[in-house]
Amino acid sequence: MISIAISSQKGGVGKTTLSINLAHAFARAGLKTLLVDADPQGSVGLSLTRQSRLLSGFYDFLADPSIPMERLIVPTRLETFALVAAGQASDYEAGNGYSGSHLVRVRAFLSNAAARHYDICLIDTAAGLFGVTNDIIASADGVIIPQQAEPLGIRSVPKLLEGLNRLRIINPRLNVLGVCLTMIQYGLAESTEAAHTLRQLLPEEMLFQNAVPRDDIFIRASAKGLPVGVMEGRHGAETVFDSLRAEVLAKLARSRGATTYQSH
Amino acid sequence: MDPVNPWLDPSEVRRLAEQLLRPVATDRLDSADPWFDSSFVGFTSKDTVAADTKKPEPAAPEPSPVPEIPPASPSLARLLQRIYIFRDWLVKNFQAEEIFILDCEGKVIFDESGHGRHHFMGRNLASASHGSGYIHVKIGPGAILEVIPCETPYGRIVLGALVPDALPPDYIRTITEILIQTASPA
Repeated sequence: MISIAISSQKGGVGKTTLSINLAHAFARAGLKTLLVDADPQGSVGLSLTRQSRLLSGFYDFLADPSIPMERLIVPTRLETFALVAAGQASDYEAGNGYSGSHLVRVRAFLSNAAARHYDICLIDTAAGLFGVTNDIIASADGVIIPQQAEPLGIRSVPKLLEGLNRLRIINPRLNVLGVCLTMIQYGLAESTEAAHTLRQLLPEEMLFQNAVPRDDIFIRASAKGLPVGVMEGRHGAETVFDSLRAEVLAKLARSRGATTYQSH
Repeated sequence: MDPVNPWLDPSEVRRLAEQLLRPVATDRLDSADPWFDSSFVGFTSKDTVAADTKKPEPAAPEPSPVPEIPPASPSLARLLQRIYIFRDWLVKNFQAEEIFILDCEGKVIFDESGHGRHHFMGRNLASASHGSGYIHVKIGPGAILEVIPCETPYGRIVLGALVPDALPPDYIRTITEILIQTASPA
């Protein structure tokens, strides 16, 4: 199993949209995919399951690792796609504690998921590199960084890079898969210029070639509690995430020299 | 006006990004400790270091005796004495253990941990923080490694210590102030 954290320094950058739709793209491609909501705001659960606030989830496991995975995993209509909600644990809105406090349990969770033969586990983390988010990145195989294409977000990039460099000391095998530009508004000069600036700033291999545009379909999908991949008029957005999926798989294959993760 | 570049140092951003693309040299974690080479004399003999790894008396009213290994110069002797007083203060007030201090080049200038791995982590965490402050990492049950980089008249030094719980920012500020005083010429 490959575990990938979706993490950002700043909130509101489209992290949950990227997590849900990239996970759905993996699942559509036939990879057995587990999407874990590790954001205390529980956005994945709120987007995809009406009962998410009633479900046991990731933070319940951190509080009590004896909870069997079967109680946490929520199947979907797509056989290859399952979710784990954020959960009910009382401390999951309490600011995450400090780094390292849940490292062992996060690793136990991932180990349990791997034992259930998932190919990919995507983890939607809370914004900011601290607390449980740090423990997740310090346990994952890879990290993808959604970055909103606007000036303020890009100013936070150095802090993010510093944080990831720190975490790679704890998790040397962490594969920084790259920064994915999100919420690009192609009709807005400030947005496209910010995207251009970021492409100038970072090494080419640090940025995904595909970017997620700002698109009303994401709001409509969220309102219905669905990934865009099952929406009417989805094809443009679906293509973006299929292309992103292919980029992720190519990066993983390059770093691992493996062919196991070829899309179907 | 450029909305991004005045806030960023492009060369620094690129350096950080390129660092992320390079593999981490994990083999160094498994080596004994490449910084403890023959050129390192330190302030204590190996035997003294071993003795210092014993848990100190938490309620000791007086500073521990300074080991009788003559340092290189009187100023170093005074610095060493101040470090031992500082070390006792840390132990007494924060239940700190396995304290070490690295100099601006990452060399060990004081150590009672005997763990090269802690030095390695301290050195790299401090380096990665780029002046953004202290870092703590849980390294075992009830054991947080606090890494506190600190600018002193001798340059940047790094304090590392194991504590049972992560220290809040106001404690860190106090420790930093006392460490600066400790490392400043009398």
